[in-house]
Amino acid sequence: MTSSAPKSEQLRVLFWRSEILRVVYWLHGEGLGDIVDLDLIRTYLGVEGRGVDDLGVDLRENLSTYLEMLVADGSLVRDGDWYALSARAMAEGEAELATAFTDLVRPVLNECNDECWCQTSAAEAEACARSRSVPGLDQKARKANA
Amino acid sequence: MSTPLANDTSGTLPRHYLKPCLLLLLAEGPSHGYELLEHVRRMGIKGAEPGGLYRYLRAMEKEEMVSSWWEPSQAGPARRTYVLTEQGRKGLNESLQSLRDVREILVTLLDRYDSLSNKAGASRS
Repeated sequence: MTSSAPKSEQLRVLFWRSEILRVVYWLHGEGLGDIVDLDLIRTYLGVEGRGVDDLGVDLRENLSTYLEMLVADGSLVRDGDWYALSARAMAEGEAELATAFTDLVRPVLNECNDECWCQTSAAEAEACARSRSVPGLDQKARKANA
Repeated sequence: MSTPLANDTSGTLPRHYLKPCLLLLLAEGPSHGYELLEHVRRMGIKGAEPGGLYRYLRAMEKEEMVSSWWEPSQAGPARRTYVLTEQGRKGLNESLQSLRDVREILVTLLDRYDSLSNKAGASRS
């Protein structure tokens, strides 16, 4: 995974921030735990047992630094060696994921098949879009977008 | 990337058994991380652990064999849903052909062994 890490420090910060948060959200979403430590993060990101990455950067030190950055910006809270998503990050994450999800399933005219009634007019398309936001109907839209 | 679960196979399974397992499971339908973990364990990879699975899924995503998205839930936190791509379907077919080839080799080996055992049994009697 490290070979795809960006070369500039600024982008590396964003890259690792995203990678770390993704792991924490993933674990949380799967019900596998709400707290992580440095070793767990290293295991999940595939940098386990490697002192330096392809660029010669000390990953242990940097991952630790990136975790601390997430603490500093309020995304994670630290308790000793353990880190958890902050309430704010949890709420922001949910909102962000919900928005991303909405974008994924937002139907547009002509998105459905030829049989769909949203083909007939813009008004029908809007009504179709509303009906597709009903839980249970989302699966169809998501499948169509997959 | 190294093979994340290489140490978790029992020693009797093919070296890259996890890949066709995951591809097959996703060919059967979209799934989530924990569900996939449970299924691969039932398919013989007893020592599969979530960290390895996570890395394998990420690697397969980079190879465009799998795609995924966050799926918000009314009842709990959002989960990552994984689906097989066309590329993944091709990968599955290739992996299974490779496993079929291995099966042929094993069948030949076992047949020869059985034949030898039978001959040894016959000469004793």
